[in-house]
Amino acid sequence: MQQGGGSSDTEVTWEDQQNINKFGRLNNRLHDLLDEIKIAKETNENLEDASNELILTDEEVVRFQIGEVFAHVSKDEVETRIDQLKETTDKSLEKLEEEKQSITAQMAELKKILYGKFKDSINLEED
Amino acid sequence: MASSSSSATAAEATERRGIPAASFVGDVQTYLNQLGLDVNSTLSFLQERLQQYKLVEMKLLAQQRDLQAKIPDIEKCLDVVSTLQAKKGTGEALLADFEVSEGIYSRARIEDADSVCLWLGANVMLEYSCEEANTLLRNNLENAKASLEVLIADLQFLRDQVTITQVTIARVYNWDVHQRRARQATPATA
Repeated sequence: MQQGGGSSDTEVTWEDQQNINKFGRLNNRLHDLLDEIKIAKETNENLEDASNELILTDEEVVRFQIGEVFAHVSKDEVETRIDQLKETTDKSLEKLEEEKQSITAQMAELKKILYGKFKDSINLEED
Repeated sequence: MASSSSSATAAEATERRGIPAASFVGDVQTYLNQLGLDVNSTLSFLQERLQQYKLVEMKLLAQQRDLQAKIPDIEKCLDVVSTLQAKKGTGEALLADFEVSEGIYSRARIEDADSVCLWLGANVMLEYSCEEANTLLRNNLENAKASLEVLIADLQFLRDQVTITQVTIARVYNWDVHQRRARQATPATA
């Protein structure tokens, strides 16, 4: 994303500069958010696969990873733990999606303002 | 290189943790007069500033990556300690498969864990009771999260300065082009 300066006619005020800065910050945060959302979705998928495997297995004791080791845990406890993890991931995924919505909306607002003032002298698209 | 805050700068921090702030330019002509440099020198000064900012950004990004890796590690340790504490009550042993070497795992029987050993770094390992270990790990986690927040704020400040500098470079350049065109339009009389 580039930001061109004003043409020789348009003056850039401090407020414009702050808007441009804010747009940059939001854009960076958006990219970070997209990565975080991807990771959260992958974690969710893994937990889904794990709980499916759990249903299929007929062993009573499952090796559940805690930290760096695999502890021998009863099947029921593993099921509970996986459910807890799934709930946590779901909640954080929801929060991340909400933040993404808000940021996208703010960026659209700023784009309108900045394009309105600078028209062609500024480029706010992803390269 | 003292680029004193120009007349148009709002009351922003003039520097943050050693990172000089980029002064906002209200009017290009005034800015050039203030610096007392011609256009090309100004442009190269600004480019140099941009490079310095980029260097600092690389450093901060590396620190951020380290912290972001450290936090899940501490959380894993907390997990293990709380599992041990939970098992302590029941009186049964905890069976765990752990890695002896890459690809080789062995089984351990952990009975009634009163204390754990924590790796403090620099080849030092200390034994703590489960409660103390819990407290220590939680403190470390809080500190790491706080440092990460400060770091992210620094990075945001830095990126703002980069943006301001980029915009200034573009405006000085455009102003110069405009001046040249104006000069060509009205050729100086001999």
